[in-house]
Amino acid sequence: MEVWYLIIANPVLNVLVALTHLVGGNFGLAIIVLTVIVRLISWPLTKRQLNSTKAMQEMQPKIQELQKKYGKNQQKLQQEMMKLYKEAGVNPLGCLWPMLIQLPIWIALYQAIMSALAATPESLLGLAQRLYSWGIVNQAIPLSSKFLWLDLGQPDPYLILAIIVGGTMWVQQKMTTAPAVDPRQQSTNRMMTLLMPLMFGFLTLMFPSGLALYWAVSNIIGIVTQYFVTGGWGYLKLRSPSQPT
Amino acid sequence: MKQSKILLLIVIVLLPLTLASCSPWGTQSAGGWSGTTINNGNIYVGTLDGRVVAINSSTENLEWAYSMAPVTAPSSGLSCGQASVATVIYSTPVVDRDLVYIGTYSGQVYALTVAGGADRWVYPRTGSIGAIVGSPVIANETIYISSSDSMVYALDTIHGDLKWKSEILDEEGKGHEKLWTSLVVHNGAVYMSTFDGHIYALSAETGELDWSFESEAGFASSPVIYEDTIFLGSFDRHFYAIEIGGNESRWKFPQEEPAGNWFWASPLIKDGIVYAGCLDGKLYAINTTTGKEIWSYMTRDQEDKPSPIISSPVLMDNLLIVVNESGMVYVFAVDDELANEGMPWRTIPIGAAVRSSFSAQEGLVYIRGEDNWIYAVDIEAGGVIWNLNLAVEE
Repeated sequence: MEVWYLIIANPVLNVLVALTHLVGGNFGLAIIVLTVIVRLISWPLTKRQLNSTKAMQEMQPKIQELQKKYGKNQQKLQQEMMKLYKEAGVNPLGCLWPMLIQLPIWIALYQAIMSALAATPESLLGLAQRLYSWGIVNQAIPLSSKFLWLDLGQPDPYLILAIIVGGTMWVQQKMTTAPAVDPRQQSTNRMMTLLMPLMFGFLTLMFPSGLALYWAVSNIIGIVTQYFVTGGWGYLKLRSPSQPT
Repeated sequence: MKQSKILLLIVIVLLPLTLASCSPWGTQSAGGWSGTTINNGNIYVGTLDGRVVAINSSTENLEWAYSMAPVTAPSSGLSCGQASVATVIYSTPVVDRDLVYIGTYSGQVYALTVAGGADRWVYPRTGSIGAIVGSPVIANETIYISSSDSMVYALDTIHGDLKWKSEILDEEGKGHEKLWTSLVVHNGAVYMSTFDGHIYALSAETGELDWSFESEAGFASSPVIYEDTIFLGSFDRHFYAIEIGGNESRWKFPQEEPAGNWFWASPLIKDGIVYAGCLDGKLYAINTTTGKEIWSYMTRDQEDKPSPIISSPVLMDNLLIVVNESGMVYVFAVDDELANEGMPWRTIPIGAAVRSSFSAQEGLVYIRGEDNWIYAVDIEAGGVIWNLNLAVEE
């Protein structure tokens, strides 16, 4: 636990508090700036994923050819498709990695938001032991939890943030999820594209809106970068390939 | 991707978030740190299970206990849920004539009878005001208390009727989310410090704003007034002296590099020396006029590591008593002969963590530990002479 605080939790907390001071004491704005910083740091990984998405888009004609050729033999079709992915250096599950990499950031951010806002006297006292001696950090304390209509330490009482998080996640998922050939795969993909946004929309109703703000901004940055790197809306505008006959 | 992989993904996302939100490494829930008050041989204290108790200091027996109604705790994150929990008490009871006064974190002020612990009145009569963390202060038959609804309340001590309430707003007209410090009444004015770096003086009669002071750094401790100067600690790791009515601080300590942490505890002043405990574990003795350090002493836990000073120091005759978070009691002699030595005369471990304020009388110090026990420490004998579990027996 000490290592976790030393390497991840405390740096995230102190950077967040220092950013709050730098942006004029606005904690919500600091979360947005931190999101941009996290996305910039994870850019090499994101770029790899986007290139992978783009490569999969370009492979669609070849996939359809394979589908025509091995449509009656599902096992062979899967084998050939995996071979094709391997040759192109594409990992069809690559979209999971950015999410997995971000998990420690979410946890650290959740802790940082709750610690920094110090809803209880104990939390405020505990904060004293986690802050660095930097002047800008100590001058920023205590932080205000108010941002737009939100209390960043509490879930959004309205559905607005949940809709934004769920909606932007759905768009991002649709842009990156390649249409499947296998009907089972298609239904799984469809379920995933719906399930993840719904799950995160639900989480937004449960978790502090500061964390949900991070998700929303992160999704929006993801959509914008996806748009410019892959040169358009990706699979959002593509229809699923016809099922094999 | 198979459905099992979807489930795995959901578990991967939900499990850490659930753990983060329901574990101590999320936010720390409100527990309370009500301190002890001694009056006419009885010790009064708020417990961790939402009661106010009176203990006879001679017989060491519980005289009475008053249980406050449980409240609903807010939830955060997944699976923690809402629960009915004991009322949380941070404020230290204050005794005036035949009543004991105390504020609760759920926003109510109670007046209980000294004799039997019956409630004489509760303010407000129905519902609640904002969370009360600071301790009440009494002057001229009026009880003054600050609340997290950005208000200062003045109540009649006899009946609990509202005399006035005053909303505390900053220059931009914004209220204060956390008015957690205790008030001080001095020369007809009520003084308060705020976490965002303000000091306000309100008329004790009407609640109207008499004077305000703004600092760049937020004030962490409650103010103490000595010779028309306000002394208090700050989040910027400095300690300040501010002249009443002025618009600049007289001095700040340390003058150059900041201390090791916040000055959280209210200071104690005697004979031109201010004794300020710091969360870095040090007790500083500072000249009230010059702001120069006279001496400092690092308090430690039983493993010899520095331990934060959260509780305010207490004076008993010429003995200055300091307790750090690890439960080490330090006794300094502050008479003329030994004042400049800065070395403790006694060091006594009580074996429990301490965050509450404490009281001292006739050679004994009464401390409520974070384990919800009360400890009576004999300074002369150098040990705990009795202790009592404050938890409700099952």
